[in-house]
Amino acid sequence: MKRTALLLIVTALLAAVLLPVLTACNGGGIDGSGGDRLVIYNWEDYIDPDMCDEFEAYYEEITGRSLSITYTTFDTNETMMTKVLKGDANVDLICPSEYAIEKLMLAGCLRNQKEIYLEIAPQLEQYGLTLEGMSSINPDGYGNIEPGVMDVIKPMFGDLEDGSGKKYDMTDYMVPYFWGTLGILYNTNVISIEELEQYGWGVLWNVQKNPKLENKILMKDSVRDSYAAAVFYMYEYGLLPEGYENYTVQQLINCTDDAVIKKAEQVLTEQRDHISGYEVDFGKDDMLNEIVYADLAWSGDALWAIDESEYYEDTDTTQLDYYVPPTASNIWYDGWVVPNTVNNKLAAMMFIDYMCKPMSGILNSMEVCYTSAVAKDKLLADEEVCDYIIEEYTDYSDENLDENGDVIEYFDINEYFDDERRYPVIGETLGVMRDFGDRNEPVVQMWQRAKSGAGVAPSLWWCLLAIVLAVGIMIGAYYAVQAFKLRPRKVKSAPDGGDAEDGAKARE
Amino acid sequence: MKKIARKPFRLTKKAFSVPYIAFLLLFVVIPLVLILVNAFLDNGNKLTLENFKVFFTSSSTLTVLGNSLLVGVITTLLCLIIGYPVSYILSKMSSGKILVLLYIIPMGINFLIRTLATKAIFLAMGLELGMGTVIFGMVYNYLPFMIMPLHTTLSGIDKSYAEAAQDLGADKATVFLKTTLPLSVSGILSGVTMVFIPTISTYAISQLLSNGKIFLFGDSIQLSFEQGMYGVGSIMSIVMLIFVLLSNFIMNKFNRRGNAARRSLW
Repeated sequence: MKRTALLLIVTALLAAVLLPVLTACNGGGIDGSGGDRLVIYNWEDYIDPDMCDEFEAYYEEITGRSLSITYTTFDTNETMMTKVLKGDANVDLICPSEYAIEKLMLAGCLRNQKEIYLEIAPQLEQYGLTLEGMSSINPDGYGNIEPGVMDVIKPMFGDLEDGSGKKYDMTDYMVPYFWGTLGILYNTNVISIEELEQYGWGVLWNVQKNPKLENKILMKDSVRDSYAAAVFYMYEYGLLPEGYENYTVQQLINCTDDAVIKKAEQVLTEQRDHISGYEVDFGKDDMLNEIVYADLAWSGDALWAIDESEYYEDTDTTQLDYYVPPTASNIWYDGWVVPNTVNNKLAAMMFIDYMCKPMSGILNSMEVCYTSAVAKDKLLADEEVCDYIIEEYTDYSDENLDENGDVIEYFDINEYFDDERRYPVIGETLGVMRDFGDRNEPVVQMWQRAKSGAGVAPSLWWCLLAIVLAVGIMIGAYYAVQAFKLRPRKVKSAPDGGDAEDGAKARE
Repeated sequence: MKKIARKPFRLTKKAFSVPYIAFLLLFVVIPLVLILVNAFLDNGNKLTLENFKVFFTSSSTLTVLGNSLLVGVITTLLCLIIGYPVSYILSKMSSGKILVLLYIIPMGINFLIRTLATKAIFLAMGLELGMGTVIFGMVYNYLPFMIMPLHTTLSGIDKSYAEAAQDLGADKATVFLKTTLPLSVSGILSGVTMVFIPTISTYAISQLLSNGKIFLFGDSIQLSFEQGMYGVGSIMSIVMLIFVLLSNFIMNKFNRRGNAARRSLW
């Protein structure tokens, strides 16, 4: 009895000590010191580092209450989704990608932001804010958000239904934050733009048999992106199985029929012989260090790498560049969602709103290099934003200064917004990718097969055979030597025998 | 209640074991049970055997498992071939105890850092990452695990055995094969266990040193859990555990049969 009691006590003590550590408590949106709390769960390196402090100041200015932001990060949608779906994430705001939003939304993990707005409307009014003044999605429209992006979301995710028949419109649940494309980051010294224009996605398969490119290509170690790239390649080169020729890009990247998966596996397995490997997050660095020459990349990562890469003045080119094949590509976006675990609705909605202000949009965008979801014309209309961009991009070196120290030529703001790598033309050739749902498993299986090659690597068998042979030869050699030493010998040496006889005689 | 009153609580040895039992329950037994339970559940938390079907019929997981076992066997053999002579020579040298430290000290540095450094060296040499580099990295990482038990066993063998054999007319090779080798079997076995078991479950080394091109069982388990395929991932974990237990069992069997001098570090 005593032992059970003791065991119970120890377990209780252990639990008492461990539980608060293991589960980050979020006490009703209010922290210990009496101020408000906001817990944000975002991608790594996906925000201007000063933004949280700025928002804290803004929040205090509006509401008169102090706010402390807890900023946590995730590295893949899958890690984040696991946490949220299991209910382990006690957060107020999350920034997942479109397919993750779809999955979380249909699983009933997210709050409808329009409803939240209605709930907090009295509070907003109290602080002199109006729904109409909100720069995120206001009730009548898209607010500051790029209409092109919303037009992509609406037809795809505007009318979804979960298992019980409940209807969902993603635009009610999410405010876009960043968006971009999937393309090829390439080294301009090795791959020419003509080559890219001619071969498109085939460059990642080294279709053109560029000897310098062989085994110098990186793919993404991500099921969905690799599948998309494989589908684009099949689409471009007419390798699609029969019956799928007339599919649009959008339909194709969301098609996970067995025939397409099978063909994609074949294509990806074939690619494995031409590439250096599958990168997790070192692709940009390897590109900059010229360890590889081509990399499947997202637009923001690519623009970051281009910024970092060498600039060749004589030809006005950079060491790295980004190309989106015009035949087909993927358009993706990440957006702010409010999960059911929200504690501080007001702060959460105000944060989303703050992120949609043109100045926040451009600060974040300049920091992480992805394209802000704040509309281009809203950014252009904002003087502060334009001044900031010009300030950041203008060349202040001596060559661009006249004798009075004035700048000769300022940066042309249109150069920033007309850059198609940053602001691609949204059209038919850019497809949005949905959650694969139940079909995720076959795709993952396919990806495993493709990554591990056609079967057990023959080099392994050779290696094993070599070791076994070496050991076998050593053992064989030992026995041979032994056999040689113990071979039956004729007693022929006279002096030897003589000695023995002498000894015998002596003993006698 | 009377019983308790009669037996006052005393701080015995048993009381000290309670925290450990609680720890084992919390962090070893419960997770294992969870894995076992997960193996029989589908995504909707219903009982199913579908996961087993997926695992045992899909060529991908079986290929990956085969690859992993083969890599494990090759790494272990290479470690043994390299490690045995080294420990043998070191045990013969008077300064061997200090020299063996040179093999052990790198183990103090985190293996991820060492692996990344190895990768940087390969890249600087312009070598193509692939199976060769992975096996190199594995042997490099696990060699100390082979040398340590071997060195302990070999330096613990009484020299008079070898001397007696020499007195009886055995040449050097025979002395080694007939006395030293049989007496060091326990060291070999614990070394093999120490290397083989971690290599079949390794995943970071293969991923880093081949840019993800070599896909082993550990990687496969990681991918399954990442993709939310808990059932299949759990089965793979169980299969891995079975292999670990199996190799432990076989090694123990050999060890008991093989020799009397059961001196080893582990």
